Amino acid sequence: MSQALLARPGPCLAATWLTLALLLMGVVLLSVLLGAGEVGPSRALAVLAGSGDPEARFVVGSLRLPRTLVGVAVGLALGVAGALLQAVTRNPLAEPGLLGVSAGSAFAVAVALLLGASATTLRVSAAQLGALAGCLCVLSVTRLRGVGSDPVRLVLAGAAFSGLLGSLTALLLLFDQRAADEIRFWVIGSLSGRRADDLLAVLPGLALAAAIVVSIARPLAALSLGERVAAGLGHRPGRVRLLVIVAVALLVGAATAVAGPVAFVGLVVPFAARALAGPDIRRVLWLCLPLGPLMVISADILSRLLVAPSEMPLGVLTALCGAPVLVAVVRARRMPIL
Amino acid sequence: MSLFPLARDATAAKRAPALPPPSGCWRLAWQRPGGGEASLLITRRSALANAGLLLALLVASGVYLALGSVHLAPRSLAAVLVGGGDPVARFMVIELRLPRLVAACLTGAAFAVAGCLMQTLARNRLATPGIIGIDNGATAFAVASVVGLGVSLAPPAMALAGAATAAAITFGLTAGGGSRGYRFIVAGIGVGAVFGAVTQLLLARVDMDTANAAYPWTVGTLNARPAGALLVLGAGLAVGLAMALQLSRALSLMRFSDAVAQGLGSRVGCRRWQVLAVSVLLTGLAVAVAGPVGMVGLIGPEIARSLSCPRGVPIVASALAGALVMVLADLLGRVLLAPIELPVGIVTAVVGGPWLLWILLRPHRSLA
Repeated sequence: MSQALLARPGPCLAATWLTLALLLMGVVLLSVLLGAGEVGPSRALAVLAGSGDPEARFVVGSLRLPRTLVGVAVGLALGVAGALLQAVTRNPLAEPGLLGVSAGSAFAVAVALLLGASATTLRVSAAQLGALAGCLCVLSVTRLRGVGSDPVRLVLAGAAFSGLLGSLTALLLLFDQRAADEIRFWVIGSLSGRRADDLLAVLPGLALAAAIVVSIARPLAALSLGERVAAGLGHRPGRVRLLVIVAVALLVGAATAVAGPVAFVGLVVPFAARALAGPDIRRVLWLCLPLGPLMVISADILSRLLVAPSEMPLGVLTALCGAPVLVAVVRARRMPIL
Repeated sequence: MSLFPLARDATAAKRAPALPPPSGCWRLAWQRPGGGEASLLITRRSALANAGLLLALLVASGVYLALGSVHLAPRSLAAVLVGGGDPVARFMVIELRLPRLVAACLTGAAFAVAGCLMQTLARNRLATPGIIGIDNGATAFAVASVVGLGVSLAPPAMALAGAATAAAITFGLTAGGGSRGYRFIVAGIGVGAVFGAVTQLLLARVDMDTANAAYPWTVGTLNARPAGALLVLGAGLAVGLAMALQLSRALSLMRFSDAVAQGLGSRVGCRRWQVLAVSVLLTGLAVAVAGPVGMVGLIGPEIARSLSCPRGVPIVASALAGALVMVLADLLGRVLLAPIELPVGIVTAVVGGPWLLWILLRPHRSLA
């Protein structure tokens, strides 16, 4: 994060934001036009123009459009959640997937499925509860002396925690064939076959999280100057932190409930946003809005096209482009300070 | 167990009266064929630890052979083992359970020795091959071989190549900062994530049957493992253990700083390559048999270190402890929820995860 980028003036941010938004619209259009099946871009375009044959109409309207919208929601949620978690732990590596928040939410969903829950809304709240528990674990670990002050060690603890929860989830799935079948493809993260119901089920959580984020953006920016400065400016750090954690849990839980645990989006998106916008959390959050969906939907398009006619899990692609970013951050001689 | 030859020189032995062994050690002396006397110092605590671990391993093996979907009484198990017994029990023990027991012992020992070597090399208790991504690399390559991706190498060879690739990438990426500290490990986690994603990618491309055939590679299990890979592992483990024992003195110097090791006459750079090579060899071969059972590389050396003498690097004890852990974990997996069989990788992860977190999170303790 060079000094020049840090001092970038405001209008430039708006230009960047607009460019990214335009890019996002282009990618969304591509996501509707392209697919693994037989409906090619020209037939899909005809549907968008209002005509088109019934098959293409079905594919575009009932398969690709909901899937793309779910992808937008997931990208928004994960990108913003990553930025928030990084700001509140002051750790550039704090990513919901890496720190075990997504794994906690996946574990909660597996438990809920095992206990008989099947409705999507129930699954969303279970995932959000699990994410909340995961977030609280992360936050309490960052308060420990030794681990909390070392960003890299926190990631290690998170990886251990995720691994443990992942095996516990696998263990639970051994008991119940029905749940295993239902969850097997969900657990590696994918947008395949998502419907409009899924989107509706996560919208309340996302809306609540958005309200929280808007209300705490300013105190959170103050918090990045240190707890005492924030308190001196009239904010209450403890309350802010708690609200951030709730927002992260709502976002990650919603994203995990529809798409499964998708790692590394919350790392890459805020990383890119910081590179473009500088360290101010409010500007970073603004840029996360187009960047998150951009990454998720691009990954989803690739996952459809690379191994057509079959599909690849979304998490694979995000890991392939996210892990190098992780290594780059870790390798940097001076870790970016948040 | 540390072996320190005391006096090789016949004349020296004649001139000086035999020294009393240092406290806590036994001195083992014998006449050399050419005349003169040779002696070995054996640390008492390490010897006792190894004997205890061996005994525990034997007991666990007995229980392993006796328990299962059909339980055998100790007497009928003994009858089978000495060559008699009724045919059904004989078939079950000799044909089904014994190969699996051997696989558990060999893979456990290989994972644990590889972990012990890597921990010593990186001077960090958490730097086991499973954590820094070497397991994942081996798995990805082995899966590529299973799903028939152009390459006609057998899974063990591919797993070795994968382990070497992952190790090379991890060490190459952190070459500037040295192989120490958490950055190294987290870079390894990143490399591991990439290889994990590659494994998933390979599995996503193939049809359901092939994916099911490759499933053991993703969790780590000992069920019906290929005999060929097991043989290769046996040979590799013998070679690897011999090399590791030969390196044990250099390793015990390596635990200090590089400068100290160099000053005491160890060729640090060369030794480091050798240690890394042995560790990669053992990891690759073990993954080719059992899949990624990462936690054994953490738990085995951990047990060995707490039991053995703190001076040396407990290689033999690590091997024994790793085998013991693997046998117990697989026994648990088979018996605990019968008739459902838990893959051994899940059992070790559920047991080892909290342990890893405890090591990581406990305050005021260095990890070196």
